[in-house]
Amino acid sequence: MSGTVRDQVASPLDAAADQVLAERAADGDLRAFEVLVRRYGPLMRVYATRVLGFNDETDDVVQESFITAWQQLGTLDDGRAVKSWLMRIVSRKSIDRLRARRAHVNIEDTDAPAPESTAPHVVAEVESQTEALARVLADLPEDQRRCWTLRELAEYSYHDIAFELHLPLSTVRGLLARARKTLLREMEDWR
Amino acid sequence: MTELTPADERFVAFDLDDTVREQAELDGHTVEQLSDYLDRGRVPADPRIDDSPECEIALRGLERLRRARQALLARDLERESLRADDWVASILDNITLEAHAGRDIPLTHPSPTARLVVTEGALRGILRETGDSMQNMFVGRCVLVGDVSVPGTPILIRVDVTVFPGENIPLLAERLRQAMYAALSRYTELVVAAIDITVSDLHALPDVSVREMER
Repeated sequence: MSGTVRDQVASPLDAAADQVLAERAADGDLRAFEVLVRRYGPLMRVYATRVLGFNDETDDVVQESFITAWQQLGTLDDGRAVKSWLMRIVSRKSIDRLRARRAHVNIEDTDAPAPESTAPHVVAEVESQTEALARVLADLPEDQRRCWTLRELAEYSYHDIAFELHLPLSTVRGLLARARKTLLREMEDWR
Repeated sequence: MTELTPADERFVAFDLDDTVREQAELDGHTVEQLSDYLDRGRVPADPRIDDSPECEIALRGLERLRRARQALLARDLERESLRADDWVASILDNITLEAHAGRDIPLTHPSPTARLVVTEGALRGILRETGDSMQNMFVGRCVLVGDVSVPGTPILIRVDVTVFPGENIPLLAERLRQAMYAALSRYTELVVAAIDITVSDLHALPDVSVREMER
């Protein structure tokens, strides 16, 4: 059995439930794992991009996340929870990147590179709420955006956010409250 | 407040720094409480929130934010799905099957110096493929129970199977069992005492959450 990649063909496994795929992948089934990669990779990329900004680190983070997942699938007790388990892995990897980036630059409030949504050509005079949200999100301070992303995209509890980011719960609440209020206030203008 | 939200004035509850004003304007509630209330699907119903026009305005804003968030996610996912497929290849190229090889299962060989083995992982692959060659079922986890490293030791095999709705489960399980016995005897010298097949689930479609996410 070699690790060569098959061409993308519709596999009956595409229709399999997460639990079946997770268990087969834990048994070493590369095809089942590939279905999971296709099913959740895009969401993980969207998530990592929100946390890290648009740059070439996103690909690395998602790839590392899946490699870790492949190695540790045997530790996942409930295959039905594979989506949140994958989101947790990509969250950790993204946060590790941010820490490394910070340690490297040694400036506390270095922000992620400007997401492409702030590019002038995108800020059209009339923009949809979706685009407006992307722009406002991009303009949020990094710590607020990270909390909001963990909460709203990765569906973390406040407690889990505090744990992952090494922040007091009260700080997380404060950051989320500010993020929400900023987003709501900006949306007042969208009506 | 005579008018709920005058067009020329921002809704004051969204003042970033003034929690006292925020609560005063939201009948004693905070945006966080309202957001949590929305996350709970507004149950159990809280009349102090439901009957407050100010809270209703804030909740509408939060709902609009939620819809925009879902639309943004859908847009981002669509953009991701349009990417070239090489990212999948690069992930699969970088994982090693050895991680799941499991135990070595010895095979006899005429030469006393040769050592032949088939890995547990490869054997599980054979069992899965046996199931995949049959219609209307998915083979899930396959577990080899017992000391497979000692030739002649009887072992037990446990297999989880998902069968599509409408199938005759006992019949399908028996056909699978026979096919697995045949495959095992073709590729190994294992003494298989029993193959326990557990039909764990009847759902043939992916999780609802996936379909929602991909919409």
